[in-house]
Amino acid sequence: MVELVLSTVGCAALCYTLGRYNRSLALQRWEFVLNAPEQRALDALRRRVELDSALAHQALDAAARARDEKRAPDAITVLKVALSVLEEAGADRLTRLRAMGVYSRMVQAIRPLPPPSAVPFRGTRLKLSARIAGLVHGLMVGTQERFRLWLTMMRIGFGIVLHGGRRAADAATRQPEHPKAWVEFADELSDFEALDASHLAAFEALAASLAAVDRGGRQQLWERIAGNTR
Amino acid sequence: MSEAQWFVAQLAKVSLLGLLVAMAMRGRLGLCWSLTLYVVATLVGNSLATFWPQRFFNYNFWVLKQGVYDSLKIAVAIELAWRAFSAFPGAWRIARVVIGVLLVASTLAVVWFTPRRWTYAQVWEWQPAVVTAGVWLLTAVALMVVLYQIPIGDWQRAIVLGFAPYMLASVTLMNLLERRGWQVKQQVALLDSIAFVGLILFWTHAAWRQEEPAREGELVPVRSVA
Repeated sequence: MVELVLSTVGCAALCYTLGRYNRSLALQRWEFVLNAPEQRALDALRRRVELDSALAHQALDAAARARDEKRAPDAITVLKVALSVLEEAGADRLTRLRAMGVYSRMVQAIRPLPPPSAVPFRGTRLKLSARIAGLVHGLMVGTQERFRLWLTMMRIGFGIVLHGGRRAADAATRQPEHPKAWVEFADELSDFEALDASHLAAFEALAASLAAVDRGGRQQLWERIAGNTR
Repeated sequence: MSEAQWFVAQLAKVSLLGLLVAMAMRGRLGLCWSLTLYVVATLVGNSLATFWPQRFFNYNFWVLKQGVYDSLKIAVAIELAWRAFSAFPGAWRIARVVIGVLLVASTLAVVWFTPRRWTYAQVWEWQPAVVTAGVWLLTAVALMVVLYQIPIGDWQRAIVLGFAPYMLASVTLMNLLERRGWQVKQQVALLDSIAFVGLILFWTHAAWRQEEPAREGELVPVRSVA
């Protein structure tokens, strides 16, 4: 009976995952990684990060002005816009971090990143995560493992920041005149920007590591990947 | 061997030959050598039991050929993993660990929980455990393929998608045999053969079908990876 249950669970998991598997998409993704110009991808990402940061700051400043002018409903509406900018940007960063984790497995070595540090962050939970990640970083040997530790820390960090941002926005909605929630939201935005800078650095390191595989080698790798499927 | 069993055995033989022809014509024989060996082994086993039933349609031969089939099923899972992951050093390292752990755990479980003598009389005590190990090896490969977005071909996907449900059917039938006893042996053997023919027909269809070419030149941003 145990075997029957185990086989059923295994078979169901297999059919579900492979049933959703899209080979063409997987191939296109790898082709993009191996053939896309790194500098162009990096520049596009940098512009995106700057734009998200500018939008969130602009919305927060507008909300603060409205609050100072005693227009609480307007202030809350604009603060929610700032939160939605953060949430959308956060979803984008989390997706990219997951993707980077996958792609980091195809290179033999990754350009090393400095150990995670708590210095650029303001939030207590984020500082603690960075300290723990810094300790674990010291225990790891391979650059790939350290790189993925960075990615994990950033994923957790973005989760913490988004959670904190939502909480601060809720508190500001309940008591718009209370400055604490507004300060907290500004802190979360600052932490988001610090995480964004790390995320950009990690992307740059991955792109540089991919670029280190010479064109011929990348072509060979691509042929091997595509050849595997034929 | 009952008439129905003989008929399904002949059908299986023809299907296996059809599968081998389809694999050869579409150049799929070398895409998974263990599977080719498995198909050849089942064809040989089937032919021996149907052409010389007095000599080969017996319990000892059944246990022997089942051992060969089970080993080849495990080999198929390992070869598929090797072919899928060998181009990706990081993922291959993890895949080796996962497959190694599964192999060791399943071997220990089979040795520990099943009787020492693998005879036909206690077939339900050891055969389901071996097949379950095969299912989980295939499942682990499938999960890692999806997790790491490793590109695998339609043929490799069809091998896995066909094998796992067939193995589940085998375990279910063994369970039925254990519960109902030897009086349902003929029916269980017949149903197992029908499931096997279904598997072979599914593979033949997959082997014959042309693979979709990869669309080239289309860029997919990194952020689109879910």
